[in-house]
Amino acid sequence: MYKRLLAGLLAATLRVDTLVARVYPDDFNPLYYTGGLANLFLTVLVLSGIFLFLYYTPSFDQAYTSVQFLTLDVPYGQIIRGIHRYSADGFMIVVLLHLFRNWFTERFRFSRDEPWISGMMLLTLTGFIGVTGYMLVWDQRSEALVAMTANAAAQVPLVGGWLRHALFGGTGLTDLLLPRLLFLHIGPAVGLYVFLWWHYTRIRHPKVWPPAVWTLFALGFVVLLTGLIPVTSQAPAVVSQRPQTLAIDWLFLTPYWAMRFLPPLVLIALAVVLIGYGLYIPYQLPETRSELGLKDSGVAQVIDANCTGCELCYYDCPYNAIVMVPSPNPGVTKAAQARKLRAVILESRCVECGICVGACPFEALELPRLLQKDIHEKVLSACQS
Amino acid sequence: MPELADRPPSAAGRRGPKIVGFLCDWAVASQGLVRDDGTMRDLPNVTLIKIPCSGFTRPAWLEFALRNGADGVFVCGCPLGDCFNRYGNNLIGDRVEQLRRRLERQKVNPERIGALFYGKHAGAAFVDAVRAFSDRVAGMPGPAFPPRKPAPAAAGPASAAPRTGPAAQDGQAGAPAGREGT
Amino acid sequence: MTDRASAYVLWIVVLAAVSLVCTAGIVWGELTGHHRLGGALIGVILLAYSFILLCLRKGGFTSV
Ligand code: SF4
Ligand code: SF4
Repeated sequence: MYKRLLAGLLAATLRVDTLVARVYPDDFNPLYYTGGLANLFLTVLVLSGIFLFLYYTPSFDQAYTSVQFLTLDVPYGQIIRGIHRYSADGFMIVVLLHLFRNWFTERFRFSRDEPWISGMMLLTLTGFIGVTGYMLVWDQRSEALVAMTANAAAQVPLVGGWLRHALFGGTGLTDLLLPRLLFLHIGPAVGLYVFLWWHYTRIRHPKVWPPAVWTLFALGFVVLLTGLIPVTSQAPAVVSQRPQTLAIDWLFLTPYWAMRFLPPLVLIALAVVLIGYGLYIPYQLPETRSELGLKDSGVAQVIDANCTGCELCYYDCPYNAIVMVPSPNPGVTKAAQARKLRAVILESRCVECGICVGACPFEALELPRLLQKDIHEKVLSACQS
Repeated sequence: MPELADRPPSAAGRRGPKIVGFLCDWAVASQGLVRDDGTMRDLPNVTLIKIPCSGFTRPAWLEFALRNGADGVFVCGCPLGDCFNRYGNNLIGDRVEQLRRRLERQKVNPERIGALFYGKHAGAAFVDAVRAFSDRVAGMPGPAFPPRKPAPAAAGPASAAPRTGPAAQDGQAGAPAGREGT
Repeated sequence: MTDRASAYVLWIVVLAAVSLVCTAGIVWGELTGHHRLGGALIGVILLAYSFILLCLRKGGFTSV
């Protein structure tokens, strides 16, 4: 069932690709650069966030006015604020595209679970950062969000009270609230970069930036949007009065909308299940190559006698599965006599793609069950048929 | 085979030019495209060899095929940018370019070596592209390599072990330079 | 130059003209304090540049 669904989604994804390819050449296809686009938006968020930070005062009586001052009186302040807001939406959109694309194209298979797991953590952090961002403005929506979150946190069994204290510095609205929220907005944003490092550790030459066409498009779209639909605050929060309405940002605040219909505890359980399932996705289909109907060629092997330590395989392995280590002895072939290094495969990372075989000019790498000899035989029999 | 009549006889003459293609497991789905012996259903002169990733191909193998009687060789991977293994098709694209330049210096028509990029469900477009490639190769005179050595083509599978192309090495010296070419 | 290429040249010229007009708009907005308009026009210019790059590529004036 799941497999059939996945196959259908893959076909749909590829069809979307061919549609995009009618307008954009392959190397400009934005769907191939969702990760790079996320990085672009993240950079914009950090830069505009620094600007906002310089003006923001985290206290009950000044938070709202400082944001209003920034928006209305600082030249282009509203534009920068809008860029921050809309880039956050853009970030979420491309991150979700990234998630679904890599899911549907099965890029979680074999030893690629680590980017997937770190990606799920990045997604969770992103949602959290988005919500605390909406709280910082300290308008009526912020107050409602704080109240709803505190209420939901307190209902978690066993750790509820502690959780609420950790998030908001105590019951009710304490003076600690806004400074703490400011940290909870910026601290996890720094954490994003820690997880990004993990996200990249097993990837050689990650595509960290989209092509110029899409850098310009994304920036232009965000800036144009800030001009057309300016970002404003709602009425200031009044502590004595329960807020009435909650304007929903569907990308970040959907859970708060759902709280109208479901008790918070159910939502928290749902979130835990969703995140848990997300972490499980790469292990749901633990198929080997032969189960997939592909030839099981085996993990790449270095033929030590031939390796010259030229590092070409090390540069080209897409999964960082090859390390160069100092070589204690020269190789056997003439070219390998003067080597200082030799290649070693980290077998747990190897996905048996064979790209290193194509990279090695000294015939020092082979896939054990698809040797150069086998290829030669196939070529010869093809030529003689 | 419309090109049958006007084509000069060559090593594998009678059904059109002999073409060897390396096809990535993740690119065009081969079900329905190939027969049991690996030749393509619509183009019996084309034999496909399945490989785990287009980047697995050693350029020396393409040269090996040309030296042993193939009239044309190509590699097929996923659309550039959508490689399942991230950069395999970009790498082989660059390596094919380098091989073409090198073989051109040896008086081999570089058009005999192709790199195609088609996704899993693009079977029809792939067949069209292979047909176009085959027709182009059919228009080229004579075998791929000028016959200076007597019959390397006679080498059977048994004697075909590692030492093949004299130039198996310099063809790739620049390979890593192309790794960011996306 | 092929028909296709000249069509793209036409588009590039149009987009360049649009971005020129936008520049004038930004200056005007800056002088009269219409910052929001200026901001929106910056966005339009960036979008225009994006499509200029695309046309350059599709018209065959830049390579990969
Ligand atoms: S086959 Fe080679 S290139 Fe591919 S993952 Fe394994 S070591 Fe890396
Ligand atoms: S490319 Fe080949 S020769 Fe060079 S380091 Fe890797 S295994 Fe050794």
